[in-house]
Amino acid sequence: MTEESIVIIGLPESGKTTFLAALWHLVRSREVETLLRFGGLRSGEFAHLNAIAGRWCEAKIQDRTSVNGSRLVSMTLTRADGGAVRVTFPDVPGEAYRRMWEERECEEEIVDLLQVKSVLFFVHADKIRAPSWVVDEVALMQQLNLPVTPGEPVDWHPRLAPTQVQALDLIQSLRCPPLDVGPRRLAVMLSAWDKAAEEGLDPVAFLHAKLPLLAQYLTNNADDWDWRVYGVSAQGGDYDPAEDEQEPSRSADELRELDIPSDRILIVGPTHSSHDLTEPLAWLMS
Amino acid sequence: MAAISDGPDSPVQCANPDCRVAETGRCVDGLELKACTYFGEAPDADIEADHGEETDEPPAPSIKLRSADTLSLRDASAVLRAGPTRLIAIVGPSDAGKTSLIAGLYDLFQRGKINNVCFARSQTLRAFEAACHDARSESRRAEPHINRTPYGEVTFYHLEVAGGLAGEGIALLLGDRAGEEYREAANDSSISASLHEILRADTITVLIDGDRLLGVNRHNVRIDAVMILEGLLAGDALAAKPRVALVLTKLDAVMGSQFADRVERDFAKIFEDISQRFGHTFQCISLFRVAASPKSPAAERGAGVSELLDYWMGSAMPPVHTGDPPRVNSRMLFNLREISEPEAEETND
Repeated sequence: MTEESIVIIGLPESGKTTFLAALWHLVRSREVETLLRFGGLRSGEFAHLNAIAGRWCEAKIQDRTSVNGSRLVSMTLTRADGGAVRVTFPDVPGEAYRRMWEERECEEEIVDLLQVKSVLFFVHADKIRAPSWVVDEVALMQQLNLPVTPGEPVDWHPRLAPTQVQALDLIQSLRCPPLDVGPRRLAVMLSAWDKAAEEGLDPVAFLHAKLPLLAQYLTNNADDWDWRVYGVSAQGGDYDPAEDEQEPSRSADELRELDIPSDRILIVGPTHSSHDLTEPLAWLMS
Repeated sequence: MAAISDGPDSPVQCANPDCRVAETGRCVDGLELKACTYFGEAPDADIEADHGEETDEPPAPSIKLRSADTLSLRDASAVLRAGPTRLIAIVGPSDAGKTSLIAGLYDLFQRGKINNVCFARSQTLRAFEAACHDARSESRRAEPHINRTPYGEVTFYHLEVAGGLAGEGIALLLGDRAGEEYREAANDSSISASLHEILRADTITVLIDGDRLLGVNRHNVRIDAVMILEGLLAGDALAAKPRVALVLTKLDAVMGSQFADRVERDFAKIFEDISQRFGHTFQCISLFRVAASPKSPAAERGAGVSELLDYWMGSAMPPVHTGDPPRVNSRMLFNLREISEPEAEETND
């Protein structure tokens, strides 16, 4: 059996854990055809995967990934040629990536996890903060839980930076010491694609329209990435909060009504759309 | 959900600081409570139990990443050695619009290509973001903003571009020095020897404050610009014969004023004066008018910046890596070397 590692990167609440949850349900349930298939439970611990997949199936929002330490998640999958591959995903909290941008530091443990050749980079397509000259910086600072004194000029804080700049810096960092391991493959995952799809753009066009600085960087490709862009809707719509006391939402009820939960999933790639979340993984490992 | 315990005396608690089993009744890791090795154990006294409390546990070892602030002289030298580079010195008083100009260029790239020139990468993204923040704040301030550039050192914004006039790719190093230091060169030409970015500049960008030309000090704008250049010349800082971009800033203020024609005449006179005095000193002198961070809608945001970018991409200096011997200037403190030569320690003249 071969071993592969794919690192999942993205700022907080960019859809990383939801993707893992949907992926695990997809491969375990075998409800739809996938390029990579479930390879059994022979080795590894699946408590975390089962927990998040369970929540996903109930159409409930995932808990925030614990900031105390990363978690290695792995699953055994079978390729189309019958070969087995054990795929490991470090489930690193988004706060760790935020720290890289804001404080220019990275825990040693995470440095090791980031030095793999395959990268899934998540951006929440519905929460992109664009650069803007007409920004109420006081309101933004408050929204980001940053200290602000009414009436006083707002000092710059890196958290104020637009989404595309923070994303670009993270990706650039992977090609600089101490994280550089040479050219890599990069799958940019635009999550919550069900919301973004309303704009009528394919994922590459969306990247150019909403994240133009990042699009220029990847297109010019001075850092020699082998890259693709995918639009991913791992939920299919809005989910309910985790607490049972909350009233179920209509959107979540409709998703739960689907006979095949995997039908909630949509991934739009370079050539076609499908429910198959293993497609970018297969490409990264090919 | 009722809490589950092993027996009537078993506490509902968990040694995992992230688990709220006492409140939620469920394991944060999704396990059956009896299966969780931490359930029932008291939280470790050294581990943080609630948010915001201090812990005695040492922080996990961290590694520093590359800074994304402006580049030092040493880092800028490495960029110069690595490939085709244009070093741009930006000269002018502290409130003439240097930060706005730098922010304006970066902001245009945030929206897309500029005249088919596209952004390739940057080592100074945080510095650009801070400049944008300052420029935005400046555009709303009633009073002038004190320049944040520390005195006595130059640092550089870094931008790599490709396509259009940039061809396969060019690195831009935009010098960031406190404007007052250039003014001091007019008083003491010996200072010029320490202005590394001037010594090596492909283009010296002289900022002419359009807003100041509208006021009572309009004549001093021309006199100050000429005196700065004279000080640099006397200090032998212009021996490499750079290009000059003469840039009228704050075009929105000018166009929105009843004195717009007078400003144009003053600007033309500055150009005439500099050309006459320094005609043989510079490779060429070109005029630009920009509204990088307008306060009014009189000019479009970023007006004139793309033309200035095209000009910046022209070069006065021969490329370092062609195999030709580097132009020697005893005052150049950059250690420029051909790429084929081994690294050597930097020495000061």
